[in-house]
Formats: sequence, structure tokens, C-alpha cells
Amino acid sequence: MLLLQVIVGGLLLGAIYALFSSGLTLIWGMMNFINFAHGEFVMLGMYVALLTVTYLGGGPVLFSLSAAVTLYGIGIIIYLTLIRHVMKGPMLAQILSTFGLALLLRYAAFWIFSANVVSLPQTTLSGIVDVGGILMPMSQLVAGVVAIVLTVGLHLLLTRTNIGSRLLAVAEDRNAAMLMGIRPDRMQALAWGLAAGSAGIAGALMAISYPFSPSVGETFGLTAFVAVTLGGFGSVPGALYAGLIIGLIQALSAYWLGAIYKDIVVYAMFAALLWLRPQGLMGKAS
Amino acid sequence: MKKTSHLMAALLAAVAISAPATLARAADPIKVGIIWPLTGNAAAAGQASKAAIEVALDIINNKHPELGDLPLAATEGLPNAGGAKIVVEFTDHQGNPSTAQQLAVRLITQDKVHALFGAYHSSCSFTATAVSERYGIPFMVGESAAGNITGRGFKWTFRGTPIASDYAATYMRFFADMKKQGRKIETIAIVNENTDYGTSVAAAIEEEAKKNGISVAIKVPYSANSTDVAPQVLQLKEKNPDVAIFISYTADAILFMKTMRNLNYLPPMVIGDDTGFSDPSFIPGVSAVAQGVMNRSAWDIGKPGTTTYKINEMYKAKTGRDLDDTSARNMQSFFALADALNRAGSNDPEKIRAALVATDLKPNQLMMGYEGVKFDQTGQNVLAATYLIQLKGDAYQLVWPDRAAAAKVEWPMKGWK
Amino acid sequence: MSRNVKLGILGLAAILLLYPLLFSGAFALNVGSAVLLAAISASAWNIVGGYAGQISVGHGMFFGVGAYLPLLIYQITGLPPLAGVPVGIALSIILAIIIGLPAFRLRGHYFSMATIAVAELIRIFTGTWEYVGAAIGLQGPAVGRGWWDLTFRDETPYYYIFLGVLAVVLYVTYELQRSRFGSYLRAIKSDERAASSLGVSVRMTKLKALVLSAIFTSIAGSLYSIKTGFVDPESGFGILVSVQMVIIAALGGAGSLFGPLVGAIILVSLQTATNTWFGGGGSGLTYILYGGIIVLIARYEPGGLYEYWQRISPRLWRSRRAA
Repeated sequence: MLLLQVIVGGLLLGAIYALFSSGLTLIWGMMNFINFAHGEFVMLGMYVALLTVTYLGGGPVLFSLSAAVTLYGIGIIIYLTLIRHVMKGPMLAQILSTFGLALLLRYAAFWIFSANVVSLPQTTLSGIVDVGGILMPMSQLVAGVVAIVLTVGLHLLLTRTNIGSRLLAVAEDRNAAMLMGIRPDRMQALAWGLAAGSAGIAGALMAISYPFSPSVGETFGLTAFVAVTLGGFGSVPGALYAGLIIGLIQALSAYWLGAIYKDIVVYAMFAALLWLRPQGLMGKAS
Repeated sequence: MKKTSHLMAALLAAVAISAPATLARAADPIKVGIIWPLTGNAAAAGQASKAAIEVALDIINNKHPELGDLPLAATEGLPNAGGAKIVVEFTDHQGNPSTAQQLAVRLITQDKVHALFGAYHSSCSFTATAVSERYGIPFMVGESAAGNITGRGFKWTFRGTPIASDYAATYMRFFADMKKQGRKIETIAIVNENTDYGTSVAAAIEEEAKKNGISVAIKVPYSANSTDVAPQVLQLKEKNPDVAIFISYTADAILFMKTMRNLNYLPPMVIGDDTGFSDPSFIPGVSAVAQGVMNRSAWDIGKPGTTTYKINEMYKAKTGRDLDDTSARNMQSFFALADALNRAGSNDPEKIRAALVATDLKPNQLMMGYEGVKFDQTGQNVLAATYLIQLKGDAYQLVWPDRAAAAKVEWPMKGWK
Repeated sequence: MSRNVKLGILGLAAILLLYPLLFSGAFALNVGSAVLLAAISASAWNIVGGYAGQISVGHGMFFGVGAYLPLLIYQITGLPPLAGVPVGIALSIILAIIIGLPAFRLRGHYFSMATIAVAELIRIFTGTWEYVGAAIGLQGPAVGRGWWDLTFRDETPYYYIFLGVLAVVLYVTYELQRSRFGSYLRAIKSDERAASSLGVSVRMTKLKALVLSAIFTSIAGSLYSIKTGFVDPESGFGILVSVQMVIIAALGGAGSLFGPLVGAIILVSLQTATNTWFGGGGSGLTYILYGGIIVLIARYEPGGLYEYWQRISPRLWRSRRAA
């Protein structure tokens, strides 16, 4: 029974990992671009949620939407002012730019909100659901389910819609896409908006149950990297599976071996998998 | 226009200050360099402590006769040193031990400080005290967990706060008292974050428990930036200890309390080891689910009218938050340093050191619940002690030891029930 | 090498040699040593990251091994920390081979991710291992028992030791650049498949570069811990240690001989200056400025500042001659 409880908890958390990793994988796969500031988008989403609750009131629907919309905007602005230009440069300049951006965003939040740990009001989605003895806090249940729905939604957007096929066309072959009359710049801006927006909404969903401070993004950034590499760069379903698997492995190893070993297990498996299957779980062999 | 008027005002003020000074020949200020984490993961603690020191400076440098026996409160500056004021230079080591070392060098050689104070992270206290040892400048460790910061044969290092082994011994005395009242305490769980702080305190508690015949049912070290602690709570649930002691930072302390509620697990008693449980964010985050949780604190705001209450009001006016135990212990260590600077009557490092060695503050001269401040030959305060407090409603109340208690211990804790 | 470049190098060397005479304060020297140390590790990283184009974001693993061993040897045997330096180098070589053999099958971002994962693995593991001090870390002799413990109150000896090591690293890199091995590295960087079809043993060449890079990174780590007298998992193996090397090299110009040195001078001075000016205020302005400047350089000078210097220096030269 306890084991089942552990598994459910791990999967619910893994669903959130999946959501914010899917944003990272999108721009990684589409533009072959590493974003070290992705965890900071999650952090900003948390603070937008807090600001919304404090100044506008309203429930989880409102603050999740406002986090998504705000971060979508921030993502596009960052693309237009920075990423568009450094993309043409060497890979090292890209690493440099997003690392600097991460510091900038983290400490801008630090300046505005101070370093103190904050949480959303205790009453937000505070119920507990009991399914045959398995306890699921309402906040995590809703967050997990919404995260999976959104991740699947993002995948459908990419594969089933006109805009999605234009996005993928740019990812596949930028020049060919241009010949077809697609403007790659617009599509890439859209991708950055979607990536930041999904990270923002993931942040808002997590903020319901997790206390946070400006340095919280660091942890999420690394987890997202692992999920994206594991799932294969550019694969949203890959990020979904990888997120769920990481959540599950973390929970099980924390339960069986102890909390300090959960990251050791994840990184060790990750390194082993890279060795055996360098293209990731869902990636295509190159 | 505005600028010039400011300038005029400044000039006038300068004249006003310097005029009597030329007559009385006021002593040069004594400089203290402070090395803290003001950015990085421990920034919140550093920032809160910075505000506490600013309040302490106000108390020392200005007249505050309303603060009773607190040394240096009633007078302006350091009377023994010709009324010299203390000025401080705050620096930020960012949690990096080599930056702490660099700052110590800068403060000693560049800013010519007469004493150093810091450094929160044990790692940074290790490297910064080594510099002050090489240069022969006294270093007051306000608050750092690792036991062996004092006791390395250093002449110039002092520590005003209790250390891990003191806390561990306190818990054991408390358990003995509770057992006398018929509570069952046979097994405990130790849940600790795995950096220097959690590791040091956990090891000390385990050792003391062994000595006192209490068995440690389970040790749960974890990383403070965990996003999920459910597996750890389930591990506890399985072992079902009589008391669970948590050595945690803020976010993880809140997360643990919420997760215990979510998984419907409540041990008879939870004791938090200060830090996260004393953070002003803790109570608003968990008051609905953590009623009766106990916490260690040598700081007690007390009733209106008391010295401690007034100090808290000053702090609150500055920051909008109540003074927490960690910052208060830093503040107390700073008062002990100021007291020694005053008795030294000079800025000569040797004299300051001699005054620190001779420190003997009585309980009525302190803002904390220590039995005094007196340093042994390693530089450790041997009279430091601590209270235990318990969350009742929206505030902690002092419940142990009995002589100081404002309320009774509620055992078992209520949690959310 | 052109006459201009030679003159430039001589000038730089003269400034570095005379710096302690120009700025005699202990703090200025401490910052100077920090610059040199950062330049050593970034130059070491440059061998595999810059010349061979294999972007490791996990070089902290070699730095950490180098940093831990001297203090570990001191704690266990009481020997001077210096005795641990060769042990650290040996372990780093072994580590480089273990990591390099499988990891060099990976390309581009996959390689970077693998190095991050291994470094994190080692960091977390070290933090749980009692024998090496776990989370609390290891200390060296606080007060030296003799000169051989290398714990000086004066900063000058450190400065010149670091400068000497940097000179060695740069000289080796310079020779490497001119050798056949250096041209193999460049071939691999520009096109691995083409290099392989021309008969370059790609994996072996990359592995040799990694081993060489690991040796110097390990030495940098040893110098760090001997001077600081302390190391813990975060300051030895932390991801910031690894990222710092990449940033410095990228900032100065990766794949150029003096790029990492230029990057170290600028970045470390920038860090120190912002922390000195704004650190005490505690508003986080330090990092806002620091992050902001990094972003600006990446945006406007993506090739690194050394490239910028090369572009403008002939013009400066000419204008001065004209005048």
C-alpha cells in the first residue's frame, strides 16, 4: 500500500516535470539551442501566480492562466531581443547568453521579491482525495492531471494543426520552409513563447503545493535537462515519458534507498542510458 | 537647487558634529567587518541577520535607556573607549568559501577593521577565521553549525552561539523531563537536510541519544531543495517513532509539514531544530496543519514592556517581520563583541582579544535565554543554552524549561486535528 | 607570429610579472591570484573545449579531484598538501579515460549533458561520503608548519606560483597548437567525419586532449584548495565551478591561446568589482550587473573579447603610427 502511494506521488510530480521539460525540448529540438534559463521561467511562473492571487484574487484557473500568458509574452520578448541574435553565433555564445539571462532573471526576482521563502495561501485547493487508501492531495492531483493534458495538447498542436506543421517545417529545414512562404522568425518566436508559457504554467501549478524563493529555478533547470536528453531532443512525447519516469525513479529510490540517493540514481541511469542509447528514448538515431 | 540645499545641510551637520568633537576629541570609530551570505541560497538568513545587526548598532551607538541591563544600551557609543561609535562594513560571500577568504583579506588589509564577524556557512567560517588567525584580528563567529570551527587551536576565533552538541544535550534533558511526566519516548527519528548544518546537528543528536539510551529508529538525510518529500514521510510512517526531530531549512520544513498532512501521518511529537521552523515564512505556511509542533529557540519575544519585546518592536519597524532566532543569536554575539570592544577601550587587537577572553556576561545582560556568555580556551561560549517553544495558534509559546515557561507542553501534538 | 602579436604578449607578460609591484596591497594580490587561477582552469578547459570543440560542462570533476586530494592526504597522513597534487593528477587521468571512452561517442549537446551528469553524480556522492568529509568538507593546515605547507600570510608567493603554472599551461597549449596533434584537433572541431575519413583517429585524439586538459584542471583544483585551505563538494565539484570555466573561455575567446586569460581578467575583475561595490547592500545588484554584462557580450561579441581585440588592435596600431 505504501509502495503504491509512493508510485502515485512520483507520477504526479513527474507529470509536472513533463510539462516544463516539453517546453525546453521544443526549442532545443527546433533550434538546436540550449537554454540554461528554463528553470527561471518556472520560477517566474510561481511569482506571477503569487502576484495574481495577492492583487487580483481568484482561484487556480486565473493564476495559472495569468502565469501562462505572462510567460508567453516574456518568452517572445526574450526571443526577439536576445535569442534571435545569438542564435547565429557559436554554441558557446548561446550558452553564455542564457546563463547570463538565468542570473539576470533570478536576481531581478530577488531584488523585487527578496530572498524570503513564500507560499500561496494555505487554502488553495486544500482538499485530499482518498482512492482506496491512496491519498492524493487535491493540489497535486489537479496539477498532475492538468500537466499531462497540457503536454498532450502541446503535442497535438505540433502534429495536428497548421501552425504546428509550420513550426516543425522550420525545425526540419529552415530554408525550405522559407521557400514555402513560412517566416521562420515568427515561428521561432512562437516556439519560445510556447516554451516559456508551458514552463510558467508548470510553475503556477507547482506553487500551489511548494514553497518557493528566487533560487528555486536551479533545481528545475537540471531536471528538465535530464528529461529532455532522456526523451530525445525535440520530442514532446519523449519529454512526457521521461518526466514521468524521472518522477517515478526519484520517488522509488528515495523510498527504498533514501532521499540523498535519488539524484544519484537518476544521474547514474541517465549516464548509462546516454552511453547505451545516445539518441534518447524517443529520438531518432542520427 | 535641491542638490545644493542637501549639500548645505550636510556641511552644516558636519560643522555641528565637528565643533564639539574638536573640544572633546571624540575617539575614532571602531570598525567591524561583517562577512555574510547576502545573495545565493542562504540570502534570506543573511538579509535578516543584517537587519538585526543594524538594530544592534542603533542600540549601541545611540542612547536607549529603556532597554534595561543590556550592555551599552543606555550610553552613546562605547563609554570606555571615549564614546567611540562602532561602524560596520557588510560584505557578501555569496556562499563561496574562497570569496569569504578574499573578503576577510580585504576587510583586514584594505578597510583596516578591528574585528571580524560572520559567516553563517560553516565552510565560509572555516576559511575566514583562518585569515584572521594569520593576521591576528579577532573573529566572532555569530552563528555557524560545524563543531570544529572552535577547537582548532585558534587564538583569535570566538563563538557566541550554542553549538550542535549543546542542542543535542538540551533535547535529551527535555526528553528526560517528559518521561518523568509519563510520556513515552523510546525511539526517535532524525530527519536532516544534508549540508554542513543538518549533518553536524544530526550527528550530535545521534551521539547524545546513544548516551541516553534512546534508540534512533531511522535517520533520514535529504537535500533541502527536494521538490517531493512524500517517500521520506512514508519512511517515517513505517517506523513510527515517538518523536521526529527535523533539522531543516525553510522551504523543506514547510513542505514536510504539508506532506505529513497530505499523507495523514502525525507522530506524537515533531521537534524542529530552529532555522526553517523559526523562519517568519514558516507559521503562515503551515499553521493550519502543524499545531503543537515544537521548536528550539533561545529567543523569546516576551511580554509587552520587556527588553526583548522592545528589541523586537525595533526590528519589526525596520523589516515588517518578527525577529527570528538565527538573527537574534547573531545579534547577541554582536553585543558580546561590542561589550568586549568597550572593555578593551582601544582598537588594539591584542587588547580586544584579552577583553573577549575575559568576557563574563550575566543572564540579565542578555537578550537571549543563555545562562551567560563566557568563552573557554577554544573560544566557545560555554554558558549558551536554549529554550523549547511550541506552536499554538499563530505563534510559538515558550514551554520549556519550566522556570521560563509561559505555557504547558501539549503532548501529543494536534497537527491539523 | 607577427611582430605586433609578439609585442602584445611581451607587454601582457610584463604587466602580469610586475603587477605585485604596482599593486602591493594584499587584497589586490588576492584578486590577482584569483584571476590567474581562473585563467589556469579556463585555459585547461580550452584544450578540449576550445581547440577540440568538445564542450564539457563537467570539468568541475577534475577540478574537484585535484582540490580534494591534497587536503585528503594531509588529513590522513599529515604530509604537506603538496604531496596530494600528483595523486590528484593520477586520479584525474584515470577519470578522464573512464569518462572519455564512452562519452566521446556522444556529440554536441549530448556530450555536454553527459559531462554535467557525471560531475553532478560525483558531487552528490562526495557529499554523502564520510571518509572525505561528506557535506562538511576538508580543511588544510590553518597555520603552516613550514614553507612546504604553502600557507602564506603574504599573497605574493601564491601569485607567482600561479603565474608560473599559467605560463606552463600556455606554453604547452602553444606548442600543441603548432603541432600535428593541434591540426588534428582543429580538423575534428570543424568536421568530425571529414577528419575521420582523412585518417585521423578521432576518439583517440579527443581522449588525449581530454587527458591533457584534465591534468591541468586538476592542478588548478590543487592550487585552489592549498591556497584556500578548504574544500567541500560545492566548491570542488559544483556546477558553478564547471560553468565558470566555460564562461571565461567563451567570454575571452575559446580556441585561442590567450582567450581564457583575457576572459579571466575581465570576468574575475567584474565579479570582484560588483561584489565590492554592491555586495554589502545585499540587493542582488551584483548578479544583475554580472548577468547583464554577460548577456550583452554574448549578444554583441559572440566570438569572445579576444576576437574583438584582434579586430580593433591593428586599427589602433595604425592610428598610433599615423599620429
